[in-house]
Amino acid sequence: MSDKPKTFYDDLSRRHMLGGMAALGGAVLVGPGLIGRAQAKTPGTLVFGLSSYPPGIKPWENKGTASSTVKLQLFRGLLGYGPDGGLQPELAESWEIPDAQTYIIKLRDNAYFHNGDPVTAEDVKVSLEAIAAEDSTAHLRSRFGVVESIEIVDPKTVRINLKEPQVTFIYLLASVHSHIVSAKELAKDPDNFVGAGPYRMVEVERGTRIEMEAFDKYYKAGLPRTKNLRFDAYKDENLRVAALEAGDVDVIEYVPWQSMDSIGANSKLNLDVVDGPFMYLLFNTEAGPFTDPRLRQAVAYAVQRQDVIAAAFFGRGNLLGAMPIPKGSEYHEPSFEGHWKRDLDKAKALLAEAGFPDGFQATLLSTAQYGMHKDTAEVVQQNLADVGIQVKLNLPDWATRVSLGNRGQYDFAVMGSAGDFNDPDALTNFLDGTRGNSYVRSLGFADDEINGLLAEGRQELDPAKRKAIYDKVHARALELAPIVPINWRAQGYATQAYVSGFKNMPGFLTFYSGYTIENTAIE
Amino acid sequence: MGGGGLTTYVARRVLIALGLVYIVTTIVFLVLHVIPGDPAMLLLSGGGVDPSAEAVAELRRKLGLDQPIFTQYIDYLAGLLQGDLGNSFQDDHPVAAEIAKRLPRTIELILAAALLSVLTGLPLGTLAALRQGGITDRSLSLVAGLMLSVPVFVTGTLLVLVFAQKLQWVPAGGFVEWSRDPVRHLIHLLMPAVTIAMGLSAVIFRMMRTTVLETLQQEWVRTARAKGLSGRSVLLRHVVRNALGPVLTVLGLHMGTLLGGTVLVEYVFNWPGLSGFLVVAVETRDYPEVQGIVLVISFLFILLNLLVDLLYSVLDPRIRLE
Repeated sequence: MSDKPKTFYDDLSRRHMLGGMAALGGAVLVGPGLIGRAQAKTPGTLVFGLSSYPPGIKPWENKGTASSTVKLQLFRGLLGYGPDGGLQPELAESWEIPDAQTYIIKLRDNAYFHNGDPVTAEDVKVSLEAIAAEDSTAHLRSRFGVVESIEIVDPKTVRINLKEPQVTFIYLLASVHSHIVSAKELAKDPDNFVGAGPYRMVEVERGTRIEMEAFDKYYKAGLPRTKNLRFDAYKDENLRVAALEAGDVDVIEYVPWQSMDSIGANSKLNLDVVDGPFMYLLFNTEAGPFTDPRLRQAVAYAVQRQDVIAAAFFGRGNLLGAMPIPKGSEYHEPSFEGHWKRDLDKAKALLAEAGFPDGFQATLLSTAQYGMHKDTAEVVQQNLADVGIQVKLNLPDWATRVSLGNRGQYDFAVMGSAGDFNDPDALTNFLDGTRGNSYVRSLGFADDEINGLLAEGRQELDPAKRKAIYDKVHARALELAPIVPINWRAQGYATQAYVSGFKNMPGFLTFYSGYTIENTAIE
Repeated sequence: MGGGGLTTYVARRVLIALGLVYIVTTIVFLVLHVIPGDPAMLLLSGGGVDPSAEAVAELRRKLGLDQPIFTQYIDYLAGLLQGDLGNSFQDDHPVAAEIAKRLPRTIELILAAALLSVLTGLPLGTLAALRQGGITDRSLSLVAGLMLSVPVFVTGTLLVLVFAQKLQWVPAGGFVEWSRDPVRHLIHLLMPAVTIAMGLSAVIFRMMRTTVLETLQQEWVRTARAKGLSGRSVLLRHVVRNALGPVLTVLGLHMGTLLGGTVLVEYVFNWPGLSGFLVVAVETRDYPEVQGIVLVISFLFILLNLLVDLLYSVLDPRIRLE
């Protein structure tokens, strides 16, 4: 209000009042400008923008990408992956597989836990046994059921005996969910997980921020390259991008597709995109129309895959008209590529053959919580209308979507997922219904031939013979259409231009890109 | 009405409030357990993967979700009576401690927004009333109408776009503790507070304008002027004070709503308050967190309404007599 009013109506000077307002507004707006760029990058600290605050960072539970990335800094397993996606030794110095049933692991001499203790065979035995234990909530609990015994040969050597030959067991040892922790600390407190990763925990602001500093006894010389590491959680994808553009963070994960073009065009930023997970349709093969493989085939031929990529992924991604074995893999078979592409005549012929020349009605389950799932469902709905299949969408929140999927309450469903590792054995998760009901695979689908071949593939050491086995799996899957893949999903990380060494790892390993944080430097 | 009357009135209101809180708690508990979504499954299937069924069963057992729902309800109530809101399903963190940390941040945000709104809405509302029909009044009313109709996520996103992404004056979002760096704390507070204040100040502006206009037409205003009081003192001591009652009620009600209603703003700006936290808790079906947050928010909402009623009766003694 003005200072010296003189008359009733005129005493309040509009000029005074507006002046005061302007001053207030000006202070509000200009203040930070005068203070300077408050959020300029922190020297010596790499700031990583996560897509969510990790709902937990226990070494063996799978609580999503953000959690895996954070875990990889605190913990390491026996093996891991290099930036190019190849297996590489971590706590193990070397390994030997005399037959596919025995794995002999030799540990490094210079690996230490954050409490200063050396990593020993005892720690390996205790950690891996805990994964398969009775009270375990580990992601790989079932898969570790294949372990018969773990022997301590000497303090730096362990011998893992399996119940049956399994060549893919090596990938389990390289998983971000089979980290090795200090047995001594675990004995003191079953919830105290002390790892041997490149960074140690400094401070946690739950829900917001995790701060770490380089572990000085990390086993790789000269790493990590950046002394301090901070994770800031940005759940909203637009804000995550804004934080990168504003310079608040150095790296972000889960770059939203709609922002990829603008980030790619920005000379101050780098965009790193790979074909990571894949989108697909899965079916209720126990009840409803899709018990008939011909109708699943009809769907596979009716879907216009380019439309999904255009609508749900802003043109980012690649067509996937066969089973999800990436091009770079030695198990990729070019003759299967693009097996399913839009062919309305074929789709209609299959419908007629199955006794539905005029189509039928079906419920498609997806989720409104994630745009890509919802948009994919809408495109599929339109595509299928072209052959007379009337699709009713069910788009609950993600939590409900998962429950309905596990219970099989759908005719067919949209899903996006990735294998646990870059090996065709990862297909087991999607093709083998004997593993139990799951929202990631078709309800009730189990084919003896496919399951037999998958089991054979797990035991075969010779790559050429394995390739032949997985080609048979692939051919059979294209015949039965247990799932109908749609596209590879572009998965992106973005960094400031001054950031070097961070790399988006290929294929399903994109979610393991946290491995390369140790190589990441700013300026 | 004597002091005893007021005490009875307050006591009755408090009892009703507590009953309401209990009903809300029970409804939230039931709804959470009835809607689909298995917390154990969700927690172990990060990124759309397929967890081991045994691991999910084990986690359900550890979280007590294998118990009959009635047992879980009784356990929950028993905990509540001892002041224990339980532990988060996600990482076993005590819910009460997390709320105690986050609630002040939400309240701070709301208070900052309320302060900005009052500082702008009251004088501008008064000014507009004094210049009724003039260009000042009309342009201010137009701006207020605009600010009222634009949703916070649009305002918020625009602010981020202009001031963080383009001008790079302020960070895009996030939070720094006061104890760590007070200046940066306030910088982070600025944009979310302004975003909320935009809508709220428009509400206050309109309320103030209307009530001042009404008050100015009262005969006692002329009497007050006639007995020689200065224009300033008529305006400040009589007109504005009389107009404050309704404005305060509106402000109080809005602040109550904002307790749960800052969700979008907290989300857009990554402000780690209580309501943004609720979104994540619901998504992950973290029952103890959802229950705890809803309990606290409904309690505060009811309390705030009670306080506004009481304050109102202080400002306008006629209320007490009714």
